[in-house]
Amino acid sequence: VSKRKILPTRAALTLTPSAVNKIRILLQDKPEYIGLKVGVRTRGCNGLTYTLDYTKDREKSDEEVLQDGVRVFIAKKAQLTLLGTEMDFVESKLSSEFVFNNPNIKGTCGCGESFNI
Amino acid sequence: NVGHRLPPTSLPLNKAGIQRYSTSNQEMQAESNPPEETVVLTESCVKRLSEITGKGEYLRIHVEGGGCSGFQYKFSIDGNKSEDDRVFQQGGVGVIVDQDSLEFVKGATLDFTQELIRSAFLVLKNPQADHGCSCGSSFSVKL
Repeated sequence: VSKRKILPTRAALTLTPSAVNKIRILLQDKPEYIGLKVGVRTRGCNGLTYTLDYTKDREKSDEEVLQDGVRVFIAKKAQLTLLGTEMDFVESKLSSEFVFNNPNIKGTCGCGESFNI
Repeated sequence: NVGHRLPPTSLPLNKAGIQRYSTSNQEMQAESNPPEETVVLTESCVKRLSEITGKGEYLRIHVEGGGCSGFQYKFSIDGNKSEDDRVFQQGGVGVIVDQDSLEFVKGATLDFTQELIRSAFLVLKNPQADHGCSCGSSFSVKL
């Protein structure tokens, strides 16, 4: 019987420092929310798009990602889709947005809002 | 029946007609652009632009080929305007559109949408656009 290596479980979603920072700012004056919830929805010209909402409580099926003190939950439907994704926050004068660098996707729409797997 | 169109002071009809004409003419001059040729800014758009643009800076809307629906909007902050550009000022801020791009955005409304996932400038209600991409950055032209 060979020893089975126990690999540390990788977080389903990693956050970049700027994303952590932004989420912390978003949540600091909203004590009623425990974190953000990422989901996917069928929409757009390429099949799927990400959704982001405040969340008050954790649902049973949600995957919890705790990093640097901020909590992000992944809705059940999005867990397979998002596995290994890096969540980033990009800000410029003209726009600011959360960007998901998802290794699983095959193609995106021109604007990057919708994607397929 | 023109009675109901007379002003309450009941001026002679010809005088009233002149007055009406001159006021509407003044309104036209104040706007300086016929309404169907302009780009309207929403309140949130004006607010955001006043935050990000300095003196002499404008938001440039440029339409170019590309995107999933044929055309897409490009936004940039620009301090130089050329002869070809049209300026639309509103609430102390301005948007510039070059003549070629204006053909594709005239009559549209520019908004700054703020959502949790993203905040960005967005062209709304563009009478020139047929159907757009869901993100609103790309559109196809009505033929």
